[in-house]
Amino acid sequence: MRYSTKKGFSMLLAAAVSLFYQAVRAGDGKLSIDKVYSAYLRNSGSIIAKNQIKGYFFLYQSDKIDRHTNQYTLQILDENLNKVKDIKFEDSKKLSLLESSYNGNTISFLFKNEDNKTLDMKIYDFDGKLKYSYSREFDKKTDELMKEYETRHTDDGMNKNVFDLGDRGYVSVLPMRDGKQRTYEVDYYSSVNKSQWTYVPTDDAEKYAFAEYMGCTDSLIILQVEKRNHAMSGKSSSHIVGINFITKKKQFDVDYVNEDQILVPCSVAPLEGTNNLMIIGSYFDKGDNIDKDFSKGMAVYEITTSGKILTKAYNSWAGDFAKYLPTNRKGKIDDIGYLYIHKVIRTPDHKLFLVGEGYKRTASALGIAATVLTRSSAMGVTKIMITDMVIMQFDEKYKICYAQIYDKNDNTATWSNVSDYNSQHLLATYLKMTGAFDYEFTTGDEDNTNFSVCYSDWVRSSDYKGQTFNTIHYNGKKFTTDKIELKSKASTMRVFPAKSGNVMILEYFKKDKRLDFRLEKLG
Amino acid sequence: MERLLAPALSFLFPGPSYVRRLTFSLLFFAGCSLVARSQTRDFFPAPQDTVLLSKLCTNYQQHYKEELNQLPSTNKKDFQEIYGDRWKNIKEKFDKREIYTDADAQKYLDALAGEVVRANPGLAATPFHCYFSRSYIPNASYIGEGIILFNMGLFDRLANESEAAFILCHEISHYILHHQENSMNKYVTTINSEEVQSRLRKIKGSEYRKNEQLESLVKGLTFDSRRHSRDHEAQADSMAVVLMRPTRYDPAGALTTLALLDGVDKDGFDLESDLQQVFNAKDYPFKKKWLKQDNGLLGGHARLQEQETSDSLKTHPSCPLRIKLLTPMVQAAGRAGMGGNAAGGGGNAAAAVAGPVVDAAKFAALKERFKYEVVEYAYASDDYAESLFLSMELLQARPADGYLVANIGRVMNGIYRAQKAHRLSKVVDMPSPGYPANYNSLLQFIQNLYLEDIASLGYYFLEPYHPQLDRLALFKTAYEESARNVKEQ
Repeated sequence: MRYSTKKGFSMLLAAAVSLFYQAVRAGDGKLSIDKVYSAYLRNSGSIIAKNQIKGYFFLYQSDKIDRHTNQYTLQILDENLNKVKDIKFEDSKKLSLLESSYNGNTISFLFKNEDNKTLDMKIYDFDGKLKYSYSREFDKKTDELMKEYETRHTDDGMNKNVFDLGDRGYVSVLPMRDGKQRTYEVDYYSSVNKSQWTYVPTDDAEKYAFAEYMGCTDSLIILQVEKRNHAMSGKSSSHIVGINFITKKKQFDVDYVNEDQILVPCSVAPLEGTNNLMIIGSYFDKGDNIDKDFSKGMAVYEITTSGKILTKAYNSWAGDFAKYLPTNRKGKIDDIGYLYIHKVIRTPDHKLFLVGEGYKRTASALGIAATVLTRSSAMGVTKIMITDMVIMQFDEKYKICYAQIYDKNDNTATWSNVSDYNSQHLLATYLKMTGAFDYEFTTGDEDNTNFSVCYSDWVRSSDYKGQTFNTIHYNGKKFTTDKIELKSKASTMRVFPAKSGNVMILEYFKKDKRLDFRLEKLG
Repeated sequence: MERLLAPALSFLFPGPSYVRRLTFSLLFFAGCSLVARSQTRDFFPAPQDTVLLSKLCTNYQQHYKEELNQLPSTNKKDFQEIYGDRWKNIKEKFDKREIYTDADAQKYLDALAGEVVRANPGLAATPFHCYFSRSYIPNASYIGEGIILFNMGLFDRLANESEAAFILCHEISHYILHHQENSMNKYVTTINSEEVQSRLRKIKGSEYRKNEQLESLVKGLTFDSRRHSRDHEAQADSMAVVLMRPTRYDPAGALTTLALLDGVDKDGFDLESDLQQVFNAKDYPFKKKWLKQDNGLLGGHARLQEQETSDSLKTHPSCPLRIKLLTPMVQAAGRAGMGGNAAGGGGNAAAAVAGPVVDAAKFAALKERFKYEVVEYAYASDDYAESLFLSMELLQARPADGYLVANIGRVMNGIYRAQKAHRLSKVVDMPSPGYPANYNSLLQFIQNLYLEDIASLGYYFLEPYHPQLDRLALFKTAYEESARNVKEQ
């Protein structure tokens, strides 16, 4: 290796102990620099731009200034784990760093200040100079909602709240509680000039709404919004909402309930070369309860940026999917069960891929026995199994043209009474919320020319018994698979998302009290 | 440990500096007369004598143990620890087979050093041993236990034996002036001194701004340590000229060496265009996207802010300053060849060639050989990116060189194996703002390749040389493996 300060996360974590200095030692009973020095890692996470990991941040408490103030060091690492910047600042004792995003020119950090009860957005330029700082208050109830919101996003390497809007700035989408209302708030933060505005829905229909960021165009922030009539309503409707960040107004809000079908979107993406958007999701018959009934299949709509539908394509479980997968009309696939769609990927040559994972309800012998013996239904008589991965491909007319099942070992997700009573849709949401699926993340080129779908598995074979990290790689022409066995000399080994085409492998060596991080390219 | 001691030990690269490349033109002109010969004579790496390495290591270990018994009783544990670290570094040089065991080369190096010892009888009382290190890094160092390492990456850049002698004399001076031991002693006594301990106690008792106070303390200690290191370098330069004076070597070699080293980090080699040329096969054309790099802050190629460059904080004065300090001494020695020019930093190294003292032909032959040995050692020590870089650089001046072609194929196969086994980071560095631009371009190129690209690039690079180079086992093996890799994809 070239002479350099060899990088790596082991070095970073050592930095938690000795952030600035070489360890300067001294004998027994004597003090040394490293014995006196202390720094604590408060938060760490990925810096994300356009759904790609571009770097990492570490927020250290590097000193105590007075009773109310700490000094912090915000350490920024690039995508290759090189330390590129240390930003020192003083702030309240109760500070945490929620998320970071990058737009090629600036880096934004969303801080939560528990003392002032504020969310502070700080935007830095490349020299580590604070460019703009924005602040908004939050109350205790909103805080609870934010925590709940966090649990609904369990994919590694994905931001939950903060997203870049190209070189214009950033947007955060946060839940908000206002009196009895539980709605959402969209905050726009400019990185070009000191400008910030907030969008809060004002119509009655959005008193009980839950919003999720789906993507952006050069003028629109696209949200998927689930709305209910009241907090405890068992029936919800799903909407696509477009907020124009130039005019600062809602541009469209459509629920895509037409004569025959209801669309429940799971992904929205701009269509390259046009001003239009593509929406994909499950569809239901009109009149169905999307929280309770089975979906009929998957639909893809092309819409304008004013929300007008241009094209519709439906793929039914019973008809279209059954040609490629052994599917019944309820969407249940033999041995696999129902599919949860984790990811929608559109390639530059207009191929559309859906990454799904199976889940099914099966009888639980243990649950039945426990219910009979204890006369309690707490354990449930059924259990939910997580099954195989499925990759599906759609042609230019959005009709399914290929599907492949990737076997993995079934694992039990839950056997509480949750599994007995809930519908297919609610079960899937619950499984996603609790991180029960084996799907980990998708990494690849920004334009999806190449991508790798990653998931974990547990293998029991004569050669190897233990956890594995698996990838299904698409190189623009064909799919190949790769596997990393997570059993090594290390006491613990884990895999995290990293820059395009890479993963970050963490190895903990208990005996040496050493934690190593390294980036590895996927095979 | 290595970082703490480095300023007192190394000739060229104090502390965490980065290795820079010689300009291609310099390499080219230095090597052009050898091109014709290298194309007709294939390079085969010298076999390493593992028995000798083991024996030497055992002997030095014994010496180290005896040394431990003589350490001061005050702060003994700290001394043992710091000497232990030094020994660990020495042992690694033997364990990793960095020490070159070729008898012919060793004989020559002994003769070079022997001339200095013969002319300076006082040195007989403090025996030392010089070895060639197989490292590509243009450096030399005194590593402790009387061992001086002369890196091949520095030797192959020198113009004459007088320059080599200056480097040896500089390291001998570090040894006989006990610079390393003095630094270690100063370090241990300072950190255990009542003054520092009292300040540490006070800081520990503070509730606020504890780390700010520590930072101030460390800054003072570092400044002091660097000042001493700088003094050591100046002393070693002066003492080297004193040692050279009674020898047959030309003391002006000191100035030309420093002038050479001053330009050692100039980077004139256009690796990107070379990659496009070397890996552009008819059946697997080069893709521009393989060179794509994000120059933003987070892409591994950020421009780091200039470090503190105030001379008071530098570990060593720069080479021009060292030349300036040394010139009067060299002139006083009576045989100054180019002092004035060198002091300006623009001297022509070749102009100062002194007459051969030991064996000019052997000097030239070793220089030639070492250009290849460093490539081989980089590969053998699992530094695939460096081995590829050195091969590409050398191949520019020696196209179709059998060993270099085979090694490029071998490295591509190694990268393929490593990536497949998810071990690429163990053999290839990640791009870093701290690396020279060319080396970073190569690292980014490797990062941008998919497995099928690596397999194909290796195969299609080797393919035109088959079957002409099949006479080389290294080539044949690499070619066959690359064909299997392509088939596998």
